[in-house]
Amino acid sequence: MSTTTTTAVADAGAGRPSPRRSADSNRPGLRARTVRESVTGYTFLIPWLIGFFGLTLGPMIYSLYLSFTRYNLFSDPRWTGLDNYVRMFTEDPQFMQSAQITLIYVLVGTPIKLAAALGVAMLLNYRDRGSAFFRSAFYAPSLIGASVSVAIVWRAMFANDGPVDNGLSLFGINLGGWVGNVALVLPMMILLAVWQFGAPMVIFLAGLKQVPKELYEAAEMDGAGAFRRFRAVTIPMLSPVIFFNLLLELIGAFQVFASAYIISNGSGGPAGMTNFITVYLYKRGFADVQMGYAAAMAWVLLIVVAIIAAILFRTQRSWVHYAGDSR
Amino acid sequence: MFRFLKGRALGAGALIGSAVLALSACSGGGGGGAAEPAATFDPDEKVTLTMTFWGNDIRAGLYEEVIAAFNEEYPNITVNSSFLGFPEYWEKRQTEAAGGGLPDVMAMDMNYLRQYSQNGLLLDLEPYLGNIIDTEPLSEEIVGTGVVDGQTTGIPTSTNAWGMYTNPKLLEQVGVEDFQGGDWEDYQDWMKEVTDAAAAAGVQLWGGTDYTGRIQSFEIQQRANGQDLFTEDGEPNFTEEDLAEYWESGSEMREGITVPQQRLEEVYPLSGFDTAIAASELTWDNFGSGYLGNLGAEYTELGLVEPPVTEEGAKDLYLKASMLHSISAETEHPEAAATLVNFLINSPRSGEIFGSNRGIPASETALEAAELDPISQQIADYEASIEDRLGEAPPVPVVGYGTLEEKFRQIGQELGFGTITVDEAVDQFFNEMDVVLNQ
Repeated sequence: MSTTTTTAVADAGAGRPSPRRSADSNRPGLRARTVRESVTGYTFLIPWLIGFFGLTLGPMIYSLYLSFTRYNLFSDPRWTGLDNYVRMFTEDPQFMQSAQITLIYVLVGTPIKLAAALGVAMLLNYRDRGSAFFRSAFYAPSLIGASVSVAIVWRAMFANDGPVDNGLSLFGINLGGWVGNVALVLPMMILLAVWQFGAPMVIFLAGLKQVPKELYEAAEMDGAGAFRRFRAVTIPMLSPVIFFNLLLELIGAFQVFASAYIISNGSGGPAGMTNFITVYLYKRGFADVQMGYAAAMAWVLLIVVAIIAAILFRTQRSWVHYAGDSR
Repeated sequence: MFRFLKGRALGAGALIGSAVLALSACSGGGGGGAAEPAATFDPDEKVTLTMTFWGNDIRAGLYEEVIAAFNEEYPNITVNSSFLGFPEYWEKRQTEAAGGGLPDVMAMDMNYLRQYSQNGLLLDLEPYLGNIIDTEPLSEEIVGTGVVDGQTTGIPTSTNAWGMYTNPKLLEQVGVEDFQGGDWEDYQDWMKEVTDAAAAAGVQLWGGTDYTGRIQSFEIQQRANGQDLFTEDGEPNFTEEDLAEYWESGSEMREGITVPQQRLEEVYPLSGFDTAIAASELTWDNFGSGYLGNLGAEYTELGLVEPPVTEEGAKDLYLKASMLHSISAETEHPEAAATLVNFLINSPRSGEIFGSNRGIPASETALEAAELDPISQQIADYEASIEDRLGEAPPVPVVGYGTLEEKFRQIGQELGFGTITVDEAVDQFFNEMDVVLNQ
């Protein structure tokens, strides 16, 4: 799922025609060539366009339609108006719980993950020696992180009498297994997400390399300490990267599925504590064949993600600084 | 350098990115399915059949053996089999059912039989009964469980019945005698005795698990009063009061008599019984060998007794098909498929190879050939011993019964955690039922 998202983000950026062309087309002699060029351009875009309309937009519109119906895969969808949405918010405590833990997972997990990524990136930026090795070492978990094998390993690590349980009891902390514990399973899922901080870390690292050294030197001369330099130089200079990472990670976190599905054996347990929205809608759709209801949940999820993205874009003005901006 | 992040491009990207998940959440699964050469059946012609079942690699090995035996007799029928775990198995069948392309021969579960039959996805086996599919070794009731709306769409491979397992070794440890039978209250008293004795001995053991978390125990209590859970027409046959009373009856044992829910979550997907923290459990009788396997080598025997009695002399129990075999309505080789189904169910070779892996063989010829290990023999004896309590099987479960069963189990957990009241639980269940029955 996450791969699809990132590709779509990249494609949407790449798919925009170059602004230079509009200036050219004002000159009459060049018009024919411009048209030819556009045709060529769009021809090259065809594979992506087919994918977008056939595999993304079309199914999306159909799923919007389905969200207003009852559809069990076997007989034709039956129009029920807003029933699915009403049921979700008034009659389905499982959905409410699912929404709640998904929000906790996203809102707690993402900042921790970004903080970890930034912290490690700054350490790596501090000294150059061996940084290539450490960069790869820290990046590795996020390459394999989404895979099935890691989730299985994670489940084994946090099981009763697993390495984590035994390790903690060396320090006199006896928590037992995390996997079956209603209170600890969500922190465990968040830890799994945090551990995969490699991707944002690499982006942070690239951003840190761009911060001009003079700024730090000037700040130091003015007597700024390490924390002050971090707050007054690093953070503002890095704010576009932070914004980018934050947006991507938030959207990614909402889509958590594979790890939760595997760790809970597809049940979303214990007591629904790993029943994230995606897991729940998958179960409703494919185990209970309530496709209409599942589609409605997918749309609620989409709208929530869109709202959060919109809020981020709104607030961006007040805390994101772009180099060369006069603001 | 991060200028490109500004403005609409990223905004659009983010929106599309999040939109894709709305979509991808609804795709997934699917694919695969049957692909057979277009040909009409002829005993001499080479035919390829696809076949699916649920289970683990142990069962898959057995199926492979049986298919090899089948090919000794029918070398012209090639069988391509595949298997998945139970939930994934049905997720895959559902998408195949919707898109076309169900396998020629498939393992069927009672919970899905009605849905698949009523949507015309399964072949009516009537023309093959008594000729290709030998019905002589199958009892009438057994064949009857695979009938929906007058059409025979599934043949049971094996049967099971609701029963109660006890753990003699643990009981000896705490010095309590095995459950001697009685009504539900006697059972609760007995569980309390075990829990108390274990607490006194300092052993981490409880008398049992909260049986009100399972719809089957509710079902047999209702049947004792002459009512199946659902009528022939699929209408619910119990009231909110019935259900409230049932869940209420467990409130005392949830307070320290049965295994605490927290402990059960820790051992999931195992149960309290096969992790040796519960001395008894009500469940399907074919769970025995799995229980023994999970309990480990120190445990060599289990007790298997009748569930508590609701009404003396009532016929509340019944034999359920633990698995059926069905044929896709779209198969191009119905005769070949029926031949395979007959072999998988009736042949002595299949009985010999499967033993009780799928439950106690439904077919007499298969059962006679099966060499039952002690626990399987115990289960077979148990099913014979409850004959007086065996009534007619309930109508084939309503469409979506699997969802209701799961909801029931989940509500049971929440009652165990104490996160909902009995009234809320009843409300939730009836809401869910309303949705499922009007799906």
